[in-house]
Amino acid sequence: MDSLGYFMPELILSVLFILVFVTDLIFGKTSGRICRSISIGGLLVVIYKVLWQLVLLSNSKGGAAYLFGEMLQLRRTEVFFKLIIDVLAIIILLYVPWDKALRAHFKGLADLYSIIIASVLGLHIMVMAVNLLSIYVSIEMVSIASYLMVAYRSDTPVTTEAGMKYVLFGAVSSAIMLYGISLLYGFSGSLDINDATFIHNLSIANPVSVSLAIVLVMVGIGFKLSFVPMHFWVPDVYQGAATPITAYLSTLPKIAAFGLFINFLTPFISYGTWSAFDFRLFLSVIGIITMIVGNLAAIWQTNIKRLLAYSSIGHTGFALMALATFSQQGVSAILFYLLVYAVANVGALMLTSYFVNKIGAHDLDSYKGVGLRYPLPSVCFVIILISLAGLPISAGFNAKVMVFSSVYQIYDINHNIWLLALMITGAATTVISLFYYIKIPLYLFLKRNEHHAEDQLLTHQYLLISICLISLFVLIAGIFPQFFNIPIN
Amino acid sequence: MNILTLLIFSPILFGLIILMLPAGYRNIFRYLTLFATLLQLGISIWLYLNFKTGAAYAGVANEGQYQFVEKLHWIGLNLGGMGRMQIDYFVGVDGISIILLLMSSVVMVIAALSSWEINKNHKGYFALFLLLDVAITGVFCSLDFFLFYIFYELMLLPLYFLIGIWGGVRREYAAIKFFLYTLFGSVFMLLVMVGLYFSVKDPATGNHTFNMVQMMNPANYDSGSIFGILSHRLLFGIPARTVGFIVLFIAFAIKVPVVPFHTWLPDAHVEAPTPVSIILAGVLLKVGGYGIIRICLGIFPEVALNGAFWIGLLGVVSILYGALNALAQRDLKRLIAFSSVSHMGFVLLGIASNTAEGMSGAMMQMVSHGFLSSMLFYLVGVIYIRVHDRDIYSFRGLGTMLPKYTVFIMIAFFASLGLPGFSAFIAEAFSLIGAFNSKTIPVWMAVCGSVGILLSATYFLWTLQRMFFGDTRLKGGDAWKLALTDLGKREILALVPLALLTLALGIMPSLVFDKINDSVLALIQFIQVK
Repeated sequence: MDSLGYFMPELILSVLFILVFVTDLIFGKTSGRICRSISIGGLLVVIYKVLWQLVLLSNSKGGAAYLFGEMLQLRRTEVFFKLIIDVLAIIILLYVPWDKALRAHFKGLADLYSIIIASVLGLHIMVMAVNLLSIYVSIEMVSIASYLMVAYRSDTPVTTEAGMKYVLFGAVSSAIMLYGISLLYGFSGSLDINDATFIHNLSIANPVSVSLAIVLVMVGIGFKLSFVPMHFWVPDVYQGAATPITAYLSTLPKIAAFGLFINFLTPFISYGTWSAFDFRLFLSVIGIITMIVGNLAAIWQTNIKRLLAYSSIGHTGFALMALATFSQQGVSAILFYLLVYAVANVGALMLTSYFVNKIGAHDLDSYKGVGLRYPLPSVCFVIILISLAGLPISAGFNAKVMVFSSVYQIYDINHNIWLLALMITGAATTVISLFYYIKIPLYLFLKRNEHHAEDQLLTHQYLLISICLISLFVLIAGIFPQFFNIPIN
Repeated sequence: MNILTLLIFSPILFGLIILMLPAGYRNIFRYLTLFATLLQLGISIWLYLNFKTGAAYAGVANEGQYQFVEKLHWIGLNLGGMGRMQIDYFVGVDGISIILLLMSSVVMVIAALSSWEINKNHKGYFALFLLLDVAITGVFCSLDFFLFYIFYELMLLPLYFLIGIWGGVRREYAAIKFFLYTLFGSVFMLLVMVGLYFSVKDPATGNHTFNMVQMMNPANYDSGSIFGILSHRLLFGIPARTVGFIVLFIAFAIKVPVVPFHTWLPDAHVEAPTPVSIILAGVLLKVGGYGIIRICLGIFPEVALNGAFWIGLLGVVSILYGALNALAQRDLKRLIAFSSVSHMGFVLLGIASNTAEGMSGAMMQMVSHGFLSSMLFYLVGVIYIRVHDRDIYSFRGLGTMLPKYTVFIMIAFFASLGLPGFSAFIAEAFSLIGAFNSKTIPVWMAVCGSVGILLSATYFLWTLQRMFFGDTRLKGGDAWKLALTDLGKREILALVPLALLTLALGIMPSLVFDKINDSVLALIQFIQVK
């Protein structure tokens, strides 16, 4: 029963899910506003409880707790991952009804809120999962919630196609992952990845077959992280889904998948004589390819959401770089990087929504000359893009420096050539990324447009205010990053 | 409050005021910006007058000898297991930076004066202008590498918009090219910066540090660290310190610009509005030269000494290639842009000579070119704003039509081609004396440098002959004749100080040399010892 004490946030999330769900049933179509308030209020309680876990952990021995027979693991790292997820979930919950397309949905948005809450529960478990079973179940929980969200607005062929693609691709990759998990179980005879026998048995099994099993599991994780070559679904789905859903997809599951990945890697790295599968090589190669493919492909995009989709692939590659260090400061850098990336990316998508709401602009071309008519959101767009590109003074720059520092420190110790290659690729792709990031200010400010699109009367002061707040955060975290620096130990 | 901090950040205050005022107050924006730059000039002059000279104030590799220092803890990032990342807000000046600070303050005032021609989006323009001003001043004052890098990168974005929104026909292309070129250099500089950070420890605290002055002391490097002098680490089969030097050198060489990396400059200059051209040529190029002296030479002195031949070669190539290109140009602004490439080559030549004369010449050339290129671009802007044409062959016999204008053109041209009595003569003469006396570069380089002066005389005089002598004939006919009015009061007000300054420096070079001498000597000694 000890475990329940550490499981409070998740219990509250479960209750919250039922509460939102029932409210929706009782009040029917008009319940959107109430459900949203309940969800946000509930999440605030969850955040409080998650913070409380820090206190609980400092009292427990070793700073770690294992729940439900080693199914879940809770350390400071997991707590911070959960915090980031919850904060972003609140931002996305706020953001959902500000999108014109979603708000016009005939079913109302109450269902969507309950799905988001359920997915946050899945994300929490995903971050903590250290058992092959809990890993699989949590990933499926998040996947199913995501399928529903992507297909939530299926009024046009594009969105239907996006939903369908996502479900098919997701189902296949989770099946492949399950196959890999069953192989791992077969080789090791254990589901608990922290179990000593799990790694020991794997290390004495045939390395080729073990590598195959691990690669199969990577397919499942890669689908969530959207690294190359598991990224094919990303552009279509990000473009087809409603923009707040894109904001959700491009941030939350990705963050949780990094948390899961870290936990999955830990036993292999800490096991001294592990040689069957070179994770560092794997991560480096995948990271380099992901950075190059994501950033290069983004250059040719004209649709803003598609452009941001490819840029988010590039960011995954960059974060993988820090993961390849297998070190505390690498994890610390990942946390900061993901937080900054996620906030900026949500901000960029909010701006996409804003311009769609205002002037129906989906493409770069329709951004022509808009900057001079809407100076405030356009300047915010520039600030947010600077952060995504990683130029000073912005949070993204500090995040980039932190990632580089963490990689460099490990490189300095082991002189692994792959880490150097990662750093150089990271620097080179930063320049490449500027090619497309700068396109948006280019169209906003530099290009002239004689015939303006008609303004829509629809105004969202809240959307603009939150965009400004995000830009402000990006700047403040750029000048004083220590306020947002997360001490792991 | 520290005087340097005030100098750096005072424009931000005016920028915020401009942003808060309604967009209609154009004139107020102009005067506020002018006032901000004049205030900066005032502070710089005060700094210049109160700058102490003497061997005890040489600066360079000696932290205690910097003046007007302010050092605050700024960013302390927890890096998990490996301690904290400590970044200081650390500003200070020595002889090398004080003189460039003063020069850039003067140029910014001139740029502000020439901003009167800006005719759209005043609010955005002046806000960006002041942001750029902050970044430029910050670069010359920073002694912390991280801070330096932030100011260095901060220059890019305002410039991108200033060229891109207020520029000429091909402004988008020019702005992006400029941005990407510079970013390409600086991103890799970031990697070297991180590497240096983890190589250097502050002896006082035992922590890693971004402090540039500490990076100059070989004793502060960890044994076995990548950039440690004694650790002899290799990167791609080349000594790591050489790689670090090359990366930093390329980053700054793009800014200078040195010849293989110069192609952004003609485009950016041609498309930029006059005030931005003035800032680009007057100040931005010097950031490159300053970076080479302060960072490349300061942190990797032994590599610089060994590579002096290549630095000198690049300098000579820039001098000749820039001059020959200038000869071939029809567009007056392009001609001046290439003459900048040529003249900045002398900076490299002087640096490569590793002599006190050469280094002083390089510094003098930066100051002198700052004033002269501002003057030249201002003068081109004067014609362009009147008839929107810059083709040399569209004009003939302007001398009789625009007498005042021609006087200033003659001063600027003759000063630039190195006529004795003007600053450029002193600068080029010292660079060449240094090159002739140098033990690190061969004599033929000095000879080629002299040929460069000859070439610059050719293109300037030929342009003078084509555009200003003979009967008045204009491509635009009578319409142009009406449009081409002689200099107005504001224009004369901007040009007179520049003309006087270059004359003053030509007659009394001690105005510069007195301030930089100790630092230059200290720098030369510092390099030779290693």
